[in-house]
Amino acid sequence: MGAYRADDDYDYLFKVVLIGDSGVGKSNLLSRFTRNEFSLESKSTIGVEFATRSIRVDDKVVKAQIWDTAGQERYRAITSAYYRGAVGALLVYDVTRHVTFENVERWLKELRGHTESNIVIMLVGNKADLRHLRAVSVEDAKAFAERENTFFMETSALESLNVENAFTEVLTQIYHVVSRKALDIGNDPAALPKGQTINVGSRDDVSAVKQSSCCSA
Amino acid sequence: MTLEPPPLSGFSFKLYVQWATFLDSEGRVMDSNALRKRIFYGGVEHKLRREVWAFLLGYYAYDSTYAEREYLRSIRKSEYETLKHQWQSISPEQAKRFTKFRERKGLIDKDVVRTDRSLAFYDGDDNSNVYLLRDILLTYSFYNFDLGYCQGMSDLLSPILFVIDDESESFWCFVQLMERLGPNFNRDQNGMHSQLFALSKLVELLDSPLHNYFKQNDCLNYFFCFRWVLIQFKREFEYEETMRLWEVLWTHYLSEHLHLYVCVAVLKRYRNKIMGEQMDFDTLLKFINELSGHIDLDAILRDAEALCICAGENGAASIPPGTPPSLPVDSGLFYSSQDDEVL
Repeated sequence: MGAYRADDDYDYLFKVVLIGDSGVGKSNLLSRFTRNEFSLESKSTIGVEFATRSIRVDDKVVKAQIWDTAGQERYRAITSAYYRGAVGALLVYDVTRHVTFENVERWLKELRGHTESNIVIMLVGNKADLRHLRAVSVEDAKAFAERENTFFMETSALESLNVENAFTEVLTQIYHVVSRKALDIGNDPAALPKGQTINVGSRDDVSAVKQSSCCSA
Repeated sequence: MTLEPPPLSGFSFKLYVQWATFLDSEGRVMDSNALRKRIFYGGVEHKLRREVWAFLLGYYAYDSTYAEREYLRSIRKSEYETLKHQWQSISPEQAKRFTKFRERKGLIDKDVVRTDRSLAFYDGDDNSNVYLLRDILLTYSFYNFDLGYCQGMSDLLSPILFVIDDESESFWCFVQLMERLGPNFNRDQNGMHSQLFALSKLVELLDSPLHNYFKQNDCLNYFFCFRWVLIQFKREFEYEETMRLWEVLWTHYLSEHLHLYVCVAVLKRYRNKIMGEQMDFDTLLKFINELSGHIDLDAILRDAEALCICAGENGAASIPPGTPPSLPVDSGLFYSSQDDEVL
């Protein structure tokens, strides 16, 4: 990806994609995290959009560029650029609609087919506020996440539950991958989460943009 | 270059008082070219849209009489009921074994409740118009089973139902619109690719520095205009403005592809900013997305008209035959089967 021109200051820029079936709440997770907004009547996403927010990890400023797109697979062909350069993904399902959980496997396959192997993935069960309508158990989702080596969290964009945690966790993990690579340690177990294998490749496989201090547009 | 009165330049041009003068005693439109020209430059009074849109969309033939149109409506109404009954008669037991139906219904159910809900017409719980949107879209997915339902279609249907305000009539007008815009939703996205390609050719013709800038910055795929083209700027303007824009586009008066000149007009309006700020693809995408609600429709239509005239035959030659919304070149099958998956 080309250098991202921004007038704010940051140490790292990480591209994170939101994927999952239509109507699981991807856009509301995005707006909750980047603008602290939620809308019950938000429109379906057409094309691709993204928003940014910077957070602090250790003593570094990490700028997250979070991409959102339509949930219908029909549009994948033209949004293949969507995945380009992504170093993190939130794979979202709706805890009240089991079919959206069943489709997670296919989304994961597509994600892994389009991204580098060390991408940080978090399975996100959204709409956890709808307790009386739950159709996917925490246990099932956890088991899936462990099997597939992804992180897992239940969220509610409506109640602002765990949204901050989910994004922060993904960004922190990406940061660990990148900083480990930068330090060229390669084998620091402390930097890896339990049960999570992150392959740090030799090439430009984590396309994080590191801003040098002298670089200003 | 001097121009005719600019499009939508004033309410005095609105087609209302003169409507009757365009029809003969039996209701035929005597001069469809003059009618389309009038609409192109003046728009349509809202009360008249219901009738005029049916002509513009091709549901009514210009040379049809009042009686023929009344007959058409009655035939089409019963055809619609037959089509609708196809999915209404699917029992829960049958639906269990009909994944494609469940998936499509699920997508439609999810989309209709987030389509233009801020508009009074679609506002509130248990809104009957929201159910009509659902029923029409579900019926369309049986009428055109190969294409099915795609996100964006609810945006295209919403103003039609709002204007036509009749279930069966809205369905058939939507069918007509989809005859032209259906390829936008093809699985292989060829309809979108051909329009975005034509757009790049038009920018090359009408603003070569901007074209070169896009070329240097890896922006020639024009994906940042995807939403504009897919649903005819529906998300970029207020509802009333969208209706005004659509009826101008549907006249096909200067070009079937005026929407592409509208794209060029918007890009040209912001060209200095785009190039001056050295926007890369991501920044440009964000910038274009955020233009929604901030585009001056009247000014853009004036520019688009001027660009279309200025491009002339070279412009038309930049757009390959069959590029939507032109009707398909071959009259055979419109759609191959689209593997419609939720994922």
